[in-house]
Amino acid sequence: MTCEQARLQMLGETEGQDLAAHMASCEACRNELSRIGAMWQSLDLLPLEEPAGQVRQRFYEMLGAYRQGLSSAEPRKTYRWWQLAAAAALLAIGLGIGYGMRGNGQVPAEVSQLREEVASMRQLVALSLMQQQSASERLRGVSWAYQAEPSDREVLEALLTAVNHDTNVNVRLAAVDALRRFSASPETRRAVVEALPSQTTPLVQVALIDLLVDFKEREAAGALKTLAANRDVNDGVRQQARWALEKLQ
Amino acid sequence: MKNLLVLSLGAVLLAPAALPQDAQKPQDAQKVTIPFRNPSQPKKLVVDTMRGSVTVRGYEGQEAIVETSSRNPGREPRRAAEVPAGMHRIGSSTAGVDITEDNNTVKVSGGFFGGPADLVIQVPVQTSVSVKTMTGSAVTIENISGEIEANNMNGQVNITNVSGSVVAHSMNGKVVVSLNSVMPDKAMSFSTMNGDVDVTLPADIKANVKMKTDHGDMFTDFDIKVDSTGQPPRVEDNRGRGGRYRVRFDRGTTGSINGGGPEIQFTTFNGNILIHKK
Repeated sequence: MTCEQARLQMLGETEGQDLAAHMASCEACRNELSRIGAMWQSLDLLPLEEPAGQVRQRFYEMLGAYRQGLSSAEPRKTYRWWQLAAAAALLAIGLGIGYGMRGNGQVPAEVSQLREEVASMRQLVALSLMQQQSASERLRGVSWAYQAEPSDREVLEALLTAVNHDTNVNVRLAAVDALRRFSASPETRRAVVEALPSQTTPLVQVALIDLLVDFKEREAAGALKTLAANRDVNDGVRQQARWALEKLQ
Repeated sequence: MKNLLVLSLGAVLLAPAALPQDAQKPQDAQKVTIPFRNPSQPKKLVVDTMRGSVTVRGYEGQEAIVETSSRNPGREPRRAAEVPAGMHRIGSSTAGVDITEDNNTVKVSGGFFGGPADLVIQVPVQTSVSVKTMTGSAVTIENISGEIEANNMNGQVNITNVSGSVVAHSMNGKVVVSLNSVMPDKAMSFSTMNGDVDVTLPADIKANVKMKTDHGDMFTDFDIKVDSTGQPPRVEDNRGRGGRYRVRFDRGTTGSINGGGPEIQFTTFNGNILIHKK
């Protein structure tokens, strides 16, 4: 047995005739074996690290937030998309760097890669904040959405989920406002029209109506008429709906 | 999930069912103390009630002290709640208030059955507080340092002498908030359908503000730098006559205070927005 073989074996099983024979003949390997033994012993002396009390709580908070996220609309797709987005972004950056390294001053390409990277960062921040337990954090997520690209469908979907499902009125209100950034997309307009009948908080209803007026969304007339005619709806909201109908004509 | 502490108020009083006469006395305040499992770790109080007022107050102690007074106790005994898996009932309550502690979160819920219950809850100053009520009276939160969320359907929201962050909404009441200091980077929002939004902020706060009132005015004594896209404010300068310098905005305005920072939103449909400098 060579010294090299012996040392490889030392890392695992230290028994066996071949190894013993080699040990008897080689002082350097004997020293090495005792050194490894001593190291294992001193590693054993290290105290076991117990997780601190808040680790458990944080884990469950995180788990709760994650579950909350799962229960909101199309979560799986979202997560898969994140991974895809990260992979695509990395690939894009890699390609960008590769092109850059080849020289020939491809500055505009680099700049656009960088811009893409920043956009996907902002998207990640907005999306993850919007899934937090704390309303204040979710509000921050909504304000990050203002920095997303107006074509960013993931952020748009997250905002629409917030408008329709967030438990906090103030978060829903902020999310309605943030939809203005996505006014160019017909999907946004349709989603806002659809959100109107299911919304029951008067202040959010008013915000949606104002948004539809800003969008000049004529398709909203039906939903607005229904709202204006419903006696169960808050008077202020019905008044706003009537005003909106006039504006949209 | 060990040691989930479940207390029903009735259990604390000795057999309230045996003393129906006592239970029917008005304002029979009941008091119960719940410890937080790890007082040194972040604490949270969650209150969710149907009817009755809620007052949350920070104090120099380590436990949550919940006092409840039913307005018409005993008239409609509360139906017994389902026993959660893995737990057992310690006692039944006639006050209709349930209190649980789990992982440093104390949850108080009630008013769903029986009469309205007015709650006064004392917690350590460093506690995050979330209060939600449906109908009834005011929500009052004072002397708290943490993240505060309040939602009152049909009453006023008063949040005073607090620091941290506040997200507050009332449907049909005033929202009055006074912050001594704010957590950096926290977004805040104050809104009501019918009532004034009256918020006092630290003079050195850095924030981007977004204000909207449909049928009201906006007032502030802060030097708010209004975004050029918004409509210009009307300035009332009474300093020459010993008065205040006020800026009046028209509806729907954004701007920044002290160079800008996290977003603060002020919204009311029927009411004024007042932003005071502390």
